[in-house]
Amino acid sequence: MATTACFIIVSRNDIPIYEAEVGSAAKREDAAQLHQFVLHAALDIVQDLAWTTSAMFLKAIDRFNDLVILLNPLYLPGSRIASSHFDTKVRALARKYL
Amino acid sequence: MEPDVSIETSSMIRIAVLPIGDVPPSLLRDYHSMLLRHHTIPLSTISSFYTEHQKSPFAHQPWDAGSLRFKFMLGGAPPSPWEDFQSHRKILAVIGICHCPSSPDLDLVSDQFNAACKGYSSALVERCFAFWPSDSQLEDGKKRENLVLFPPSDRSTQEFHLQTMMQDIAASLLMEFEKWVLKAESAGTILKTPLDSQATLSSEEVIKAKKRRLARAQKTIGDYCLLAGSPVDANAHYSTALELARLTADFFWYAGALEGSVCAILVDRMGQKDVSIEDEVRYRYNSVIVHYRKSFIQDNAQRVSPLTFELEAILKLARFLCRRELAKEVVELLTNAADGAKSLIDASDRLILYVEVARLFGTLGYQRKAAFFSRQVAQLYLQQENRLAAISAMQVLAMTTKAYRVQSRVSASRHSLSNETESGHADSGKMHHQSVVSLFESQWSTLQMVVLREILLSAVRAGDPLAAWSAAARLLRSYYPLITPAGQNGLASALTNSAERLPSGTRCADPALPFIRLYSFPLHPSQMDIVKRNPGREDWWAGSAPSGPFIYTPFSKGEPNDNNKQDLVWVVGEPIQVLVELANPCGFDLRVDSIYLSVQSGNFDSFPLSVDLPPNSSQVITLSGIPTSVGPVVIPGCTVHCFGVITEHLFRDVDNLLLGATQGLVLSDPFRCCGSPRLRNVSVPNISVVPPLPLLVSQVVGGDGAIVLYEGEIRDVWIKLANAGTVPVEQAHISLSGKNQDSVISIAYETLKSALPLKPGSEVTIPVTLKAWRLGSGETDATAGKSASGSMVRNVKDGNSPSLLIHYAGIFWPVGDLETNKSSVPPGRRLVVPLQVCVMQGLSFVKARLLSMEIPAHVGESLSSLANGDGNPLDEAVGYGQRDRLVKIDPFRGSWGLRFLELELSNPTDVVFEISVSVQLEKSSNEENLSVNCAAEYGYPKTRIDRDYFARVLIPLEHFKLPFLDDSIFSKDLQSDGYTGSRNPSFSERNTKAELNASIKNLISRIKVRWQSGRNSSGELNIKDAIQAALQSSVMDVLLPDPLTFGFRLARNGYGSPGKLDVKESDTSIQASASKNTVIAHDMTPMEVLVRNNTKETIKMNLSVTCRDVAGKNCVEGTKATVLWAGVLSGITMEVPPLEEIKHCFSLYFLVPGEYTLVAAAVIDDANDVLRARAKSDLPDEPIFCRGPPFHVRVHGNA
Repeated sequence: MATTACFIIVSRNDIPIYEAEVGSAAKREDAAQLHQFVLHAALDIVQDLAWTTSAMFLKAIDRFNDLVILLNPLYLPGSRIASSHFDTKVRALARKYL
Repeated sequence: MEPDVSIETSSMIRIAVLPIGDVPPSLLRDYHSMLLRHHTIPLSTISSFYTEHQKSPFAHQPWDAGSLRFKFMLGGAPPSPWEDFQSHRKILAVIGICHCPSSPDLDLVSDQFNAACKGYSSALVERCFAFWPSDSQLEDGKKRENLVLFPPSDRSTQEFHLQTMMQDIAASLLMEFEKWVLKAESAGTILKTPLDSQATLSSEEVIKAKKRRLARAQKTIGDYCLLAGSPVDANAHYSTALELARLTADFFWYAGALEGSVCAILVDRMGQKDVSIEDEVRYRYNSVIVHYRKSFIQDNAQRVSPLTFELEAILKLARFLCRRELAKEVVELLTNAADGAKSLIDASDRLILYVEVARLFGTLGYQRKAAFFSRQVAQLYLQQENRLAAISAMQVLAMTTKAYRVQSRVSASRHSLSNETESGHADSGKMHHQSVVSLFESQWSTLQMVVLREILLSAVRAGDPLAAWSAAARLLRSYYPLITPAGQNGLASALTNSAERLPSGTRCADPALPFIRLYSFPLHPSQMDIVKRNPGREDWWAGSAPSGPFIYTPFSKGEPNDNNKQDLVWVVGEPIQVLVELANPCGFDLRVDSIYLSVQSGNFDSFPLSVDLPPNSSQVITLSGIPTSVGPVVIPGCTVHCFGVITEHLFRDVDNLLLGATQGLVLSDPFRCCGSPRLRNVSVPNISVVPPLPLLVSQVVGGDGAIVLYEGEIRDVWIKLANAGTVPVEQAHISLSGKNQDSVISIAYETLKSALPLKPGSEVTIPVTLKAWRLGSGETDATAGKSASGSMVRNVKDGNSPSLLIHYAGIFWPVGDLETNKSSVPPGRRLVVPLQVCVMQGLSFVKARLLSMEIPAHVGESLSSLANGDGNPLDEAVGYGQRDRLVKIDPFRGSWGLRFLELELSNPTDVVFEISVSVQLEKSSNEENLSVNCAAEYGYPKTRIDRDYFARVLIPLEHFKLPFLDDSIFSKDLQSDGYTGSRNPSFSERNTKAELNASIKNLISRIKVRWQSGRNSSGELNIKDAIQAALQSSVMDVLLPDPLTFGFRLARNGYGSPGKLDVKESDTSIQASASKNTVIAHDMTPMEVLVRNNTKETIKMNLSVTCRDVAGKNCVEGTKATVLWAGVLSGITMEVPPLEEIKHCFSLYFLVPGEYTLVAAAVIDDANDVLRARAKSDLPDEPIFCRGPPFHVRVHGNA
């Protein structure tokens, strides 16, 4: 099964500052939207969890259908990350683990 | 699956509520709501309706505390295939609702009701409630089964009546339950579920089924006990059922019984929740879930599945546990439930599941999760592709907008209101940032756009054009940068299409395009400035700046520095303007049908405007209106009619948007992407409206163009002031401002004053006299002003012209009211009348110089008249200036003191100038006497200067020599030792260089050079500096007297001793007496030479007198002497005391008649420093030579 990971870094106020979709599955627009919807919804749980644990890796915290959300709440203050270098790094790292 | 299930659902009696006959929907809802109050009937209240026919199977019924619970199913429900499994799924009673006025035939009603009840075979009690029967219907005594008439009465009576009927129903149901249970215990019933195999049973299965039957019966009896409000009985039966079901491995019924037992526990405890109960419920329900799962049979999974029961059980447990503290557990349950969705066969089950999951997440405070599942629900609705489903989808999506922050403004405002009242524990942490991030932009733009698109789609499908318009508007306004031009066009047409289905004049809370921001509030033009009145002062405008600082309004010029606290004053009835900037960042032509200022305060009439905005363009437009009544004006934004709908565009929203854009939170700045420059934040000033004020309008008579003047030109202009307001001008005052104020020579204040009060519509003309300034200095000033302040644009435009400031006001309150009405003193106004003077170069001054001229005096005997004086040579005799307008040379004094100031002028213009010079005469150089002495003016003939020509003008100067020569003139340090004479003793001390300069200035100020050109232009040439420069170089010669002065006179008449004679140049006011001055040839003529010492030292000298004829030959010496003489003429040694004079007598005998010239000269012995300085002698040994002016002697023949 082709796996896809949608990677989003969220800053304070739930503002996504970085988004990347990595993986081998063919990209479909509606799927991308669904991923975002799922991630957005998962923030509710992240928000609660972030108060209860000091661990940065929160393991699988939410799922919808077959989508699993692994979240690491990086609270980076600041605006959207636009660096292409960062983007490349993320995608390279993702390739390693997928 | 069923919506809204909970553990307690098992204890509720379902009653179908059916409208019978024609019942208007609103009334049906009303009747339904009346019923809803009676959802719980306490057992204690029904005892009067209850009769125990047999011994009740409900042995432990809690008559004092228990109750029956009803669940009203409005419109009924189809029979469930699972009725046998769970008795609460049965419709156990039917209530018909009839509205008698619309159903006159009660028989028909009864028939209809009976027919309706046929569909509910499980119903044990049937009643039809008929409300508002007519009198005839009431009188119709016919007894109809189950029909209950509610006689017309007030609401409380009806409700009481209804309560009684419900208690009756409850009692009837209870008795029916008893009957059913007794029957079931004795006879036994066959209870089946769709899970049970439909195929014929094998023998083994029959045996198994028999065993199971008992368990199922016990479980069902338990259900009825529960419905009858007897949890203890129910629990007993459930326990039996559980035992039996476990033995027969009837997992499904086992789970059902377990569910019932949990409900019984909860009913028994009557809502009390403690940890032990919670643990018990959790434990049992987990078992329930497990057993429902166990009962899953693969072979009939396609047809029917216990999955819905499993999911319902999960939801029931989740609802039971749904608390913030147990969020993790609930989330796990709900996630599991949601996972089950994909196994559900029925789409509507999945819908209900998602609805419930969303609701529970919402209850938990997980708004985003709730929104996520709500959106799933909406998608399921949308898949149904019918209008009702689309409406549902739209409504569900509307609920998600808050979480996705794409709220419509209507719901947003409603939410913010409710948020304030109830500070939800869930909201407090999550929603505070809404204020930080602007409402519609949180950068989950993909999600937001999808949601809005789905709302748009569902609204279109649901046929709700307003919702569609609103969604399209939000989509377009917030996400235009992410939408392709084609998509933008699509949205635009969606807006237009929606608007076509809306009635005209529809308003929508969500603005679409354009973006509107405040550009500026132009202050009143300077003609209309409003000035606060200071009631305590005569000059009421003092100390209060006009509505804008200074004449120039940085507010409208875009200076960010001083717009913090602007107060704007508008006047009732006077149109005002506000500049706003519109932007259309989309790729289509935007037609704004009308836009006008939206004013909440209601005292303002706005004038609408229509605008066309090309793609990707911005435009600044002027919106205007008229204040209609006194009070504050609040302008939150604009009302826009665009895309067929009226919307409010608030400035504040756009300000937030722009702020967000600068912080990078918002996708794009709509104004910037339209190429509009970044604008500072314009704040809305406090605007107040004041009662009508007078309004002066000025007009310069002869046209508003610049007044063209030559340098120095003096001209009268007339300014017409008209009151264009509706209130008379009661007070007015004129002052000057700006540069070159001194160019305004006079203003006819009195003309204005006398015209007050100036009624509305009337006008007054005020003459103002202007004198053009000199060009050079003005030009340099202008550049200086420019660099000092960049905002003074108007000033630069106006150049250096001065302005008239006219402060005026209407009625002033009586003084007595001042204290109370201080705040309500109507303001005054200020009219700025710029005098647009354009100065052209006129006559120009080339140079000036002093010329001296010698015109010999005549020798006469008239000097004696001076001797009559009191001895003060400074005192004037009769001023001759008063008699003569022209300078005349005194024939006996000569021109020795006369100087001419020659001015050289050029005329570079193309007109002809005529110059006239006047000298104002003051016959004293002593300032202290100025007031005593009268002044006179001398007029000189005019000099004409043609264009491009030079001309010289001579100005005679005289009478300004100082009285005596003093060392103090040369050096301040050498003060003369206290000379005391008959003169003013202080005079010598003040005789300093300063005195000298003052007298020069005094002299200059008396000279006026006027010019005239053509008929209209006349002016004055400013020559002060030029003259000063000219005088400065020769000031000594001009002002200082010679050390010695010489004079001749005839001594013939034998005035014995004429005493002192002053021949000082400054005092040559000699009264000529021609008759005495005749000299005849061949006659001995006695003469005197007078020598005066003008210094304060005694002077020794060697005097000599010569006489020359016309040819200049010395005629007293040599062989051909024509004049004989007696006495000494040369080498006369004299010693003249200070400031005294000495005369020396001699006689001449003229042989030939004619003109002769007498000259006295002296060589001063032992000259002191003062004399040397005066003579400009450098060598200490050089003899100082003094020569007197020539005197003429006319010798007549012997006639």
